[in-house]
Amino acid sequence: MKFWNYIFGVLLLILAMAIIALTQLPDGNLHIIACDVGLGDAILITYGKTQILTDGGPDKSILSCLGKYMPFWDRDIELIISTHPDADHSSGLTEVVKSYKVDEILINPIDSGTSVYEVLKKEVGGRGIPVINPVAGMRLGVGLMYLDILNPSEELYNDLAVNNIDDNMAKYRISKDTNLYSIVYILSFKNFSGFFAGDMPKELSDRLSALAGTGGVNYIKIPHHGSVNGLTENLLKALMPKFAVISVGKNMWNFPRPEIIDMLVKYNVKVLRTDQMGDIEVVTDGTRYWIK
Amino acid sequence: MTKNLPIFRNLTLAIFAISLITLRFYSTRPVYRNGDTVRITATVFTDPVSYTGFQGVKIAGLTAYLPAYPEVSYGDRVVVEGVVSSGKLKDPKLISVSGNQSFGSLVRKRIIAFYQEVLPQPMSGLIAGITLGSKGTLTADFWNRVKLTGVAHVVVASGTNVTFVASFLMGVMTFFLPRKKAILFVILGIILYLFLSGFDAPLVRAAVMALLAFWAAETGRLVTAWRVLFLTAAFMLVIEPDWIGDIGFALSFVSTASIMLFEKRIAKRLKFVPEVLREGLTTSFAAQIGVAPILFVTFGQFNIWSPLINALVLWTIPYIMILGSIGGVLGLTFPFLGKMVLWLSYPLNWWFVKIVYLFG
Repeated sequence: MKFWNYIFGVLLLILAMAIIALTQLPDGNLHIIACDVGLGDAILITYGKTQILTDGGPDKSILSCLGKYMPFWDRDIELIISTHPDADHSSGLTEVVKSYKVDEILINPIDSGTSVYEVLKKEVGGRGIPVINPVAGMRLGVGLMYLDILNPSEELYNDLAVNNIDDNMAKYRISKDTNLYSIVYILSFKNFSGFFAGDMPKELSDRLSALAGTGGVNYIKIPHHGSVNGLTENLLKALMPKFAVISVGKNMWNFPRPEIIDMLVKYNVKVLRTDQMGDIEVVTDGTRYWIK
Repeated sequence: MTKNLPIFRNLTLAIFAISLITLRFYSTRPVYRNGDTVRITATVFTDPVSYTGFQGVKIAGLTAYLPAYPEVSYGDRVVVEGVVSSGKLKDPKLISVSGNQSFGSLVRKRIIAFYQEVLPQPMSGLIAGITLGSKGTLTADFWNRVKLTGVAHVVVASGTNVTFVASFLMGVMTFFLPRKKAILFVILGIILYLFLSGFDAPLVRAAVMALLAFWAAETGRLVTAWRVLFLTAAFMLVIEPDWIGDIGFALSFVSTASIMLFEKRIAKRLKFVPEVLREGLTTSFAAQIGVAPILFVTFGQFNIWSPLINALVLWTIPYIMILGSIGGVLGLTFPFLGKMVLWLSYPLNWWFVKIVYLFG
């Protein structure tokens, strides 16, 4: 009977789907994945069915990374963070917004006027995704994860030309120094903490080293792909991380710079680079943490 | 009536067709030369390929590498300026781009978006490629691996996939219905499918070729079927002489011919395969016999494992295409049902992707 054969075929597919689904069930740990997107940043933090994505890299390749580390039925990202409007951080977010249901976006109200940013603005606006503007001192809770925003501070906006005060993705116009406005935050999950630095420049690293608190962190996303205009010794001494992740690909500026690598080695920090290791997955149960 | 008359008639016909094609071919050559600065207004007939920071768009036979945004998509009307340089457009500037608002093209766009909302990458890119021939949805990394493993021809629905599905449906339908009625259903199914694909030229010509040839084969003598196949191909070349250099055209022709030649024989040898899988396997194997040598010659990337990889993934193609089409159409009006159908295709896509990553 041909007919029963097809029913059998469908049942077989359902069984196969169920088996694959079992292998993708989330565990009880927090995973931080620095996606290998070439030169650019895209960091997925996932705990159970809750995800936070910080930046989306320069192109679609972020989608493969999300596909790999999220169960196939989970099409919902609770929060995306666009640290600053540079193309190597925000282009991929447009693709993410198109393919996933995004609950909220944390983004600076600065419009760099680039075509990449215009497209992102249009996609976010068109879908009515709620927009949050960060300011230093803000604390966001997403499930059991907490984000403490360190940058940008209110004063930073004083020098900018006002564009449209009601547009929370484009209150101000900006033409240069977008890195200075990078969203910088500390992630806490139980006893684990990580420092996410966007592309922040040197002067900001030094300023934040005073604010970073005394406890230190376990994990740091090295600012600006390992540029010398990024991490400073003061900040490193204040944070004393165990793992340092550098998200970097082929580039003409010789990132990561040897000065930065030497500095990390000097303080006994384990250096993890996406250009050498591909995606870098760090797992924590809230106390212990390891590389997968 | 003398016995050699049909041969004589065939020969005259062939010579007539060939001279017509040649005439058309030379009278329609493009007029621009290297170094010319041109402004081209044209419709984009192939999916742009996305790279980091830019996109490769084919306009009137010339490839232009444009910035990634604004995004140009299949079916858009574009105005581009640049300098012609051996098949490429140097320093291209996108003057304007306006979306294709035709119903078919909007449906296609909406279905691809639905795939991306329901399935993760690279599975969503794979199903969009296999079902609708969308190259733009594939991620660069997966596309590279697909090329390395020698399965690129099925991942972007060249006509070959349409040939698979036409032949597959024919096989399935003739079980339920008398031959002549079955063929009507297959034709209807393929027309609906072409509608979804936005009447993409390579898919239309493959469908026409395959349907006419299989129809002739099912209803009449084999000789008639061959004649129909050759006549159809010749007629198409008279209308569009450019297709003579189009690898997709050659592949559609060869895969149809190859299925006509080998399908019955392969089916006999695959009696041991469970019936649910057999139809998909025989069709794809039969087509593969003719297609594989052409691919190895033209793509030049010979992977020693390629025949094995093809054998491992090809059987999934008709099933992915049929589930992809049904799921996509359902998704337009009943997103939940569409999602369920696409989830059914997930294990097949998963298998395809895993095999490509294993060997790539």
